[in-house]
Amino acid sequence: MSEAGIRIEGLRKRYGEGDTAVDALKDVNMVVAPGEVVGLIGPSGSGKSTLLKCLGAVIEPTAGRMILGGQTIYDDGWKIPDLRALRRDSIGFVFQAPYLIPFLDVTDNVALLPMLAGRPNGEARARALELLTALDVGHRATAQPSELSGGEQQRVSIARALANRPPVILADEPTAPLDSERALAVVRILNQMATQYHTAIIVVTHDEKIIPTFKRIYHIRDGRTEEEAGQGLSL
Amino acid sequence: MKLSSIGIRRVVLGLLGVLLLASLAFVVMRSGPLAPTRVTVVQAAEGRLTPALFGIGTVEARRSYLIGPTVAGRVRAVTVDVGSLVKAGQLLAEMDPVDLDERTAALDAAVARAGSAMAGADAQRRDALARQALAAVNARRTVELGQQNFISANAVEARLQEQASADAVVTAATANVAAARQDQQRLAAERAGLRQQRANVRLLAPADGVVISRDAEPGSTVVAGQAVLRVIQPSSLWVKVRLDQARSAGLTAGLPAQVVLRSNPGRAVAGKVARVETISDSVTEERVAQVSFDQAPSDLSVGELAEVTLSLPPTANAVLLPNAAIRRLQAQIGVWTLDGGDLRFAPVRTGLTSLDGQVQILEGVKPGTTVIVYSEKDIGARSRITVVETLAGQQP
Amino acid sequence: MISLAGRDILHSWGKFVLTGMGLGLLIGVTLTMAGVYRGMVDDARALLNNSGADLWVVQQGTQGPYAESSSLRDDTVRSVLGLPGVARAANVTYLTMQVRRASAGDGAPSSDNDDVRAMVVGFEPGQPGEPGYLVEGRHVTRSHYEAVADVRTGFALGERIRIRRHDYTVVGLTRRMVSSGGDPMVFIPLKDAQEAQFLKDNDAIVNERARTAANPSLNRPGVPGLLEAIQASQANNRNVNAILVQVQPGMDAGLSADTVAETVRRWKHLEAYTRAQMEEILVAKLIATSARQIGMFLVILAIVSAAIVAFIIYTMTLGKIREIAVLKLIGTRNRTIAGMILQQALGLGLIGFIVGKVAATFWAPIFPKYVLLEVNDALLGFLAVMVICALASTLAIRAALAVDPAAAIGG
Repeated sequence: MSEAGIRIEGLRKRYGEGDTAVDALKDVNMVVAPGEVVGLIGPSGSGKSTLLKCLGAVIEPTAGRMILGGQTIYDDGWKIPDLRALRRDSIGFVFQAPYLIPFLDVTDNVALLPMLAGRPNGEARARALELLTALDVGHRATAQPSELSGGEQQRVSIARALANRPPVILADEPTAPLDSERALAVVRILNQMATQYHTAIIVVTHDEKIIPTFKRIYHIRDGRTEEEAGQGLSL
Repeated sequence: MKLSSIGIRRVVLGLLGVLLLASLAFVVMRSGPLAPTRVTVVQAAEGRLTPALFGIGTVEARRSYLIGPTVAGRVRAVTVDVGSLVKAGQLLAEMDPVDLDERTAALDAAVARAGSAMAGADAQRRDALARQALAAVNARRTVELGQQNFISANAVEARLQEQASADAVVTAATANVAAARQDQQRLAAERAGLRQQRANVRLLAPADGVVISRDAEPGSTVVAGQAVLRVIQPSSLWVKVRLDQARSAGLTAGLPAQVVLRSNPGRAVAGKVARVETISDSVTEERVAQVSFDQAPSDLSVGELAEVTLSLPPTANAVLLPNAAIRRLQAQIGVWTLDGGDLRFAPVRTGLTSLDGQVQILEGVKPGTTVIVYSEKDIGARSRITVVETLAGQQP
Repeated sequence: MISLAGRDILHSWGKFVLTGMGLGLLIGVTLTMAGVYRGMVDDARALLNNSGADLWVVQQGTQGPYAESSSLRDDTVRSVLGLPGVARAANVTYLTMQVRRASAGDGAPSSDNDDVRAMVVGFEPGQPGEPGYLVEGRHVTRSHYEAVADVRTGFALGERIRIRRHDYTVVGLTRRMVSSGGDPMVFIPLKDAQEAQFLKDNDAIVNERARTAANPSLNRPGVPGLLEAIQASQANNRNVNAILVQVQPGMDAGLSADTVAETVRRWKHLEAYTRAQMEEILVAKLIATSARQIGMFLVILAIVSAAIVAFIIYTMTLGKIREIAVLKLIGTRNRTIAGMILQQALGLGLIGFIVGKVAATFWAPIFPKYVLLEVNDALLGFLAVMVICALASTLAIRAALAVDPAAAIGG
């Protein structure tokens, strides 16, 4: 199918060989539509990180199919020659910690991705400013990351994830260090961005504070996913 | 737009970088092989030189006498010591006469004997004369008698022969007397000669002076020609000065001199060149001049070293340059002139020099030319130079 | 695309600049060591240049007045002057000895540690061997007891110095007149130098006289004046160390010098060296051991510098591991990351080199011997620094490339 969004079918990931082989992912199936924010919940050791790493094209799955933004990136083998470019252009990453580059200012942190994609500096910075303003940190555009509060840094990192207009955003415990108000704010922003930019977002979390906000949730246990309808609390 | 800290930082670091590069450029241009050579210059000007000649000399005595025997012998007595003033004819020392006195006595005796011999010969002659007279009388008588035939012809011949013999004896006796006299004369002469020798044994001072060394003590044996004493005339002390042949132009008798003795380096004694030696030293390449003192200092010692400066008459006006400006380029002597920024080597002909380093330039440089005096390095036609006031205190 | 290396440097500029300065001092030391070697070679060349000679005539079988001691009769110069092709020839003596200040300038006696080690040169004025240029004062005009000294002796104009038995007045100062060992030169008239070289101190002279007088074959009673004549000849010195010869210009100087040298060797029973041969003797033989020593030291310094740069860059990179993981994850090319590290290393090298060159230039004159910092050496050094920095950064680049982008995604 060549629709945007995320589609994962029968994904399997095995570590090791023979007797010591471990199947971190046994059979993962997920569908996320563009503009949708979906939660991925599971206990530790359930394979959440492995799934993200497969989706993020940093490790190679063993079998299955992954379609991102209408592109089949994996079908029992990588179908894309340049995974790094894929990550740069098609996947946005939001981490537990903001992980901003400390020696670049806020604007440049966000503008870095378009620059890497070959955009001229002026255009990249303009787009960065636009995103920062949309995320309500535009007034900190010239500051150093060390001068920002935790929440501001997190918002800058979200802006960075969106900088290249990727069809997909993978968020790994984005609210873990935050209090409930800030956590909900982050989720609200994610939803806003998803709607605004038609991005499919998977949020890996076990934060009880935000789980109720998801309309759909995938549980992952022992390497298998199970879909569930969420509460979809409005923000 | 508010100044970003990045922007400030950039400006500051940029300035630091520029400063660093500037100091690098400064360092490269000002020192090291790319830097220009520093030189000082002087304007060539005319002037007069008071040239002078310089030499080292030793104090010597004009007249010094070596008193010694003419034959080998032993010294018997020395009557004066070092430092004594002696007068002409004074007895200074005496050699051992050995057997001279005895030989004189022997000769005296011989002379006396010769006198006696002469007296004997004289007596013999008188005796012979007497006999001759008798023989003559006898002969005359006999001849008379013979003429009267009173005596045989034999007897007359006998008497005549007696007379002849008596004449001969007289001649012989006269000769003996003469011989004895000559013998006496001979011995007297020998005695006179021995007396001379005896007189030679006494060493007398040939002139007034002062004894400067006593080389043999009584009892020591000396050979002919060896000095027992040395005497000099203290008023005749002068300085024998040696000057480099190459730097002795203008050396004549009569030049005024300033003598600085080694024992008194702060005081210069005035003097004058008394004589310029005709013979120079070809091995050391030096000319020799004798400089006398106008007023000899009282504490002179023979053999003392002295530095002598002779003043030559001032020269005529000519271009003068310090001798540090004179350089050599290949085989030529000349100076480097600065002609509106261009370096040019001007060959020169030099004349007299003064002791303080000024040189007469007879040909090659006109007054007013800028001439390079001191330089940090050897310079050539293509050197880059920069003129400074003084090179003193610059980095070595 | 912005320069990641530049941004990183701007961000932690203090650390960078300090590291650069530290590295710079090390590079400065390296450049100075090379300068020491060049200075030694230049000292030897200066010695040969300043003598102004095309040919050195020395005792047969010796290697010249500088590398080996040589002794000639001083009237040999006359027969050398007569050879075809010789324009000028002059006697010179060389003696390295301690020269003392005779007084502290105002007449007070000098202390014992006012000795300066100098090479005393005996020269004839106007002839080869005289200093060619002065920086102060004048040339020697008197035939005795005046001297021209190199500024490195520390003597001032007008100062009185003591060489053996006599005091000399310093009338001129010159520069870069040094022996091949770097000792500064003091020029005095030849006769004074001959006396200084061979005449002993008073006690030794008195002893020598006594010994001669005690020798019955020299002290004959039947020959008056013999002993004095012998003692006078003992107190006389007629030797010099070398004859400096200038050949006639106009002919090809090298050819003519070789011809004259050959003539001297063959017919005069002396040894003669041309400029090229003297240079080889001095540089290749005299300085060879020191050159090897310095060469080894330079190699060690280069290795140490490389190690330090490698360590610094590696540490700086390790401090950025997390950022590198993130960069790799979000899609930065390996090439870009490697380039950032390389640029930082080269930038460090550039700062270090400039600091080192400036520092070396400022502290070189303070060294007791001549330090010559050549432009070629600086350029070579710059190239070497850049290459070393580039190579040293490979360690850090390998570490950076080995970072797994997946590490950014926490377990």
